Amino acid sequence: MNEQALVLKDLVKDFDGKRAVDRISFTARKGEILGLLGPNGAGKTTTIRMIMNIIAPDQGTIEILGRPFSEKMKNNIGYLPEERGLYRKMKIMDVLIFLGELKGLQADTIRERSRRLLQQFDLNSYEQKKVEELSKGMAQKLQIIVTILHEPELLILDEPFSGLDPLNIELVTRILLEKKKEGVSIILSTHLMEYAEKIVDSLVMINQGRKVLDGKLTEIKAQYGKKFIRIEYEGNSAFMSGLDYVKGWKDHGREMEIELIDLADKNRLLKELSARVSLNAFQLTEPSLQHIFIRKVNEGVPA
Amino acid sequence: MKLIAVIKKEYREIVKKKSFIISTILTPLIMAAFMFLPVMLMKMSKGEKTIQVADYSGFIYEKMMQNEKTQSSENKIPGKQKGDFNRDYFDKNTRAEGSKLKFNKIATAGLAAEELLKLNIQAIRAKKIDGFLLIPTTIKKDRKLFYYSGNISDFETNRYIQAAIRTVVSRQILIEKQINPEIVNEATRDIEFETIKVKKEGTAKSSAGIEYMMSLFMLAILFSILMGYGQLIMRGVLEEKNSRIIEILISSTDTQHIFYGKIIGIGLAGLTQVAIWFLFGMALVGKFSMGLDSGILNFLTLEIGMYFIIFFLLGFFMYAILFSIVGAAVNTDQEAQQFAAPISYLLIIPFVMGIMVTQSPNSSVAVISSFIPLFTPTLMFMRITVSPPPLLQILSAIFMSLVFISFLAWLGAKIFRVGILMYGKKPSLGEILRWIRYK
Repeated sequence: MNEQALVLKDLVKDFDGKRAVDRISFTARKGEILGLLGPNGAGKTTTIRMIMNIIAPDQGTIEILGRPFSEKMKNNIGYLPEERGLYRKMKIMDVLIFLGELKGLQADTIRERSRRLLQQFDLNSYEQKKVEELSKGMAQKLQIIVTILHEPELLILDEPFSGLDPLNIELVTRILLEKKKEGVSIILSTHLMEYAEKIVDSLVMINQGRKVLDGKLTEIKAQYGKKFIRIEYEGNSAFMSGLDYVKGWKDHGREMEIELIDLADKNRLLKELSARVSLNAFQLTEPSLQHIFIRKVNEGVPA
Repeated sequence: MKLIAVIKKEYREIVKKKSFIISTILTPLIMAAFMFLPVMLMKMSKGEKTIQVADYSGFIYEKMMQNEKTQSSENKIPGKQKGDFNRDYFDKNTRAEGSKLKFNKIATAGLAAEELLKLNIQAIRAKKIDGFLLIPTTIKKDRKLFYYSGNISDFETNRYIQAAIRTVVSRQILIEKQINPEIVNEATRDIEFETIKVKKEGTAKSSAGIEYMMSLFMLAILFSILMGYGQLIMRGVLEEKNSRIIEILISSTDTQHIFYGKIIGIGLAGLTQVAIWFLFGMALVGKFSMGLDSGILNFLTLEIGMYFIIFFLLGFFMYAILFSIVGAAVNTDQEAQQFAAPISYLLIIPFVMGIMVTQSPNSSVAVISSFIPLFTPTLMFMRITVSPPPLLQILSAIFMSLVFISFLAWLGAKIFRVGILMYGKKPSLGEILRWIRYK
């Protein structure tokens, strides 16, 4: 059997002379969660639309589950578009039946599965309500139900966390991990690196239409090693700019990631910090994805 | 199967709409009102009209009454009887039933016309009488009389009075000239004016006015449902585009399924509505045929009903495709309205021409334009209702429309496929045409 869920080769797409996607290639293995990461406007959605055959690539090839895209394949893919919307005037169950039937399911099967999923997503009392009566978060959850209703082998999710509160982000993360356990391959596009970091197995970073980095999360992190220092603190961090042995830092307010020119200076830093702020934690760590991304973009080297 | 899912969804969505239910019920009610109202109005308004007559000529009232006496004592106007020209005249032109006019002569001796007039105008205002007829002494010379009433647009009554008195005056003049009374009778006899509609098989008596009204009425219904459903489709497509559901749909099935399923589904909903009207109309005509004007009965045949459905469907598909293209191409409701305007003109042109067609259905303009596919649904239907063209013409127009629809559907599916995913700026017509060449 083919072990690749998705293979992209040299994908190119231009819009009005502007290159939106520039020779992007990557492979997603079956049964893993691949994060397609990058800032807004990097070309993630365009790439996904090409995978979904919504727009045609100008160059390059795409193979899904070992074959080029075909109409029949659509029943095997669950796609959550970036911009959401469902028929506002339709009842929840009617929406599920219609979209389920479009994926080749029978109405009875849809009803049964929908009830289970609505329960799981805490929406069971809304079955006969209209879509417009749902809150934004609820509509988002409904959309995720629509995406997984037909139990696809491959899930392609464009910004699945946007518009969700922390509780629902938890819920969606749990569902995704469950799906992964079932052997479903998942492509997850997001600009929220801190969420991606928690669940992806491998990742592809893109910026301005180009791939800047890809590989397994653990391998990428290992490359950078535990050269970073993460602190939790209270106080004023303005003094940081005066420390000449610090290469860079990212201040989150009560947390800070610090990179030293030479890790040997870590005790010096600790001393300095203890004198300046009230320190709650000080640990050596791997860089965050966000940090790696910023580094990669600044280096300007396409991987 | 997926096509059926789309058809089912579109059909249900429309049929469950409040506006659908309301228009399904309301239209036949309006239709019924339109059919029964003329008859009912005539009955009601003419229940009995009392007209006071101040006859200064001294002979008109008596002569008029002599003519009337041959009829029922109630002055029932229709009830045609040979020799009574007034009744004949009336019957032919208005088909009124049960109208009654009651003429009361009032004494004029020693009373000035001004005074009588004042009194009677007060009586009219108080609704004690319906009219006041002032016949001057000079009527023979001036051939002029005065009729005062709260309702002077009741042409039926006006014409009746005018015609009756004209005859009385003419006869009086002739008799005073010592003309043989038999010749006088001969000379002042009424001329019958019978309108007969030429149908494909046989002829039927019919009144031109009602026929004309019915044709226009059907045209208006056709126009408004084509327009209504077109707008509905356009908004539906735009909603799918703007809410981006279209991406989910496209990732589930072929765009052609979405496009054709939508049009077929909404078309079936429209057909359901028309079928309900059709059955309602048949029931109505069957049950209340005696209350209906025979002109309407002659008009509303099964054949006309069938043609209505055929041309409704042809028109529906043409305009549905055009409107769905607009929905797919644009981004906002405002842009949609801008693009929809020229399509609306395509519907308004035959609507306006339809009025001309009812008047001269066989003019070359009418014949030629009824073969232009976009106009066929309205204009060919108009021609059929007014003066059925040869079957060959009807069939070839239908065939041409079908060819045109196939072409439009092919074109529409292509533009739809591209347009529905184009966001951002308003496309130009040139761009839309370029989309056809996209793969």
